[in-house]
Amino acid sequence: MWNLKNSYNSLNFKKALCITFFSFLIFQFFTFKCYSDNVKNGEIVIKKMIADAKKHAVKTKKLSPKERSLKIEILIKRFINLDFMARATTGSFWKKATNIQKEKYKSALLKQIVNTIEEHLNTLATLTYKPLKSEARGKKLVYVKGIIKDHSKKIPDVNLLWKLAKDKKANFLVLDLEIEGISLISSHKAETMAILRKNKGDFNALLNTFTKSE
Amino acid sequence: MKIVKFASLYSLILLFVLSGCTNNLKISAESADPFEGLNRNIFAFNKSLDQNIVSPISTAYVKTIPRSIRKNVSNHLEWMDTPSTILNSALQMDLENTILASAKFMLNGLSLGFYDFDNNETKIQKKDLGSTLAMLNVPEGPFLMVPLLGPKTVRDFTGTLSDRQSLSNISSNSVNKISLVEIPVNLVDKRSKLAKNIEIIYESPDSYTKMKSYYIQNRRKNVYGDKYLEVKNNELDVEFEKLLQ
Repeated sequence: MWNLKNSYNSLNFKKALCITFFSFLIFQFFTFKCYSDNVKNGEIVIKKMIADAKKHAVKTKKLSPKERSLKIEILIKRFINLDFMARATTGSFWKKATNIQKEKYKSALLKQIVNTIEEHLNTLATLTYKPLKSEARGKKLVYVKGIIKDHSKKIPDVNLLWKLAKDKKANFLVLDLEIEGISLISSHKAETMAILRKNKGDFNALLNTFTKSE
Repeated sequence: MKIVKFASLYSLILLFVLSGCTNNLKISAESADPFEGLNRNIFAFNKSLDQNIVSPISTAYVKTIPRSIRKNVSNHLEWMDTPSTILNSALQMDLENTILASAKFMLNGLSLGFYDFDNNETKIQKKDLGSTLAMLNVPEGPFLMVPLLGPKTVRDFTGTLSDRQSLSNISSNSVNKISLVEIPVNLVDKRSKLAKNIEIIYESPDSYTKMKSYYIQNRRKNVYGDKYLEVKNNELDVEFEKLLQ
C-alpha cells in the first residue's frame, strides 16, 4: 500500500516537474521572442528615420528656411516621443506645470531639436549610417547602436546610440540620442533644471528663456 | 638635470599606480560647481573673446587655407601631443596604446608629424596626466572655467599644467619657442573643427550649463571609456523605466 501511494506521489511530482519545466521553457521562448522582436523593430525605426532624413535633406534644399524647418518638424514628430522627452528634461517640475505651460514647453523643445538637426542635416546627406549592435535593456527599453561614416574621411567617425521604447499606441519612438557618449536628454535636463532652480521652479521664466534664445 | 626632475615626478606617480589602486567608478550625474558665479563670468569673457577674435580668425583660416594644408597642420599638432599619450599610457599600464602611440610617433616623425603615414587607420586613445590621476582614484574636483583654456575640472586642469610643465622640462628651448606659436594655431584649428557644436552651445538658453554638461560627459567618456557609459546608462535606464510607467 505504501509503495503504491509513494509511486503515485512520485508520478505526480514528476508530472508537475515536467509541466513546470516546459511552461518555463515556453515562457522563456516567448519572452525572448518578444525582446528580439522589440530589438528588430527598434532597428527598423532607426533605419527608416535616417533614410527619411537623408531624403528630406536632398528634397528640401531649395525650400526657404521656414518651410524647411516645418517639414523637419513633421518628420521628427513621427519618430520621437516628445511627451517623454519633455518630462525627462524637467524632472519633478513637470508635475507642477499647467497644461498650457506643458504644451508650450513641448513646442519649444521640439524647436530646439529641429534647430540642432538642421545644423547637421546638409552634412548628413553625404554620410553613411551603419548599424552596429542592438540590445534590449530591461522590459521596455531598446538600445540601437550605429556609426556615421564619411568615406572621404573629412569627418571622423561618429558613434551613435539611440534609446527607444514603445509608446501607448505600441509604436517604437526615440527617447534619447547619445552622440559619442553625450546624452542629449542629460545635457538638456541639466540646462532646464539650472534655469528652473535659478527661477525657483517658475515654468513661465523657463519658457521666456527659451523664447529669448530662439 | 631637467630629465632627473621629470623622471622623479613621473616615478612618484608610477609608485602610486603600482601601489595597486583600484578604480571604483562612482560618478554623480553632475559635477560640483562651487565657483559657479565666477565660472559664469569667465565663460562670458571667453565667449566674447571667441566671438570677436578666435571665431573670425578660424573662419578666415578655413576659407583661405586649403583643406589638405589644414589637415597637415592638424596632424602635426596631434603628433606634438603624442609624447604625453605615450608617457601616460605607460603610467596607466596600457601597453597596447603605449606601443601603438610610440610606433605612430616614430613613423610620422619622419615628416615631423605633418603627414600621417598611417592614414588614421590606427586608433590611439589620447591620454594625459588628468586621465592618469583619474586612474589613481583622484577625485574629479569642482568644475572650473579657465580663461582662454575653457572648461576643465580641477583634476584635469592640474593634469594639463603638469603635462605642459613636464614636456617643457624634457624638450629643448627651440622646441619650447615653437610651442608658443603652436598654442594659438592649435586654438584656431580646434575652433574650426568644433564650429558647428560651439554655435549650437551659444544658441542654447543656458549656454554655460550646456557647455559644462557636454564637457563633463565627454571628458568622463574619454577617461573611463565604456565603464563610464555603462554606469551612466544603467542610472538613466532606471530613470527612463520609471517615466515610462
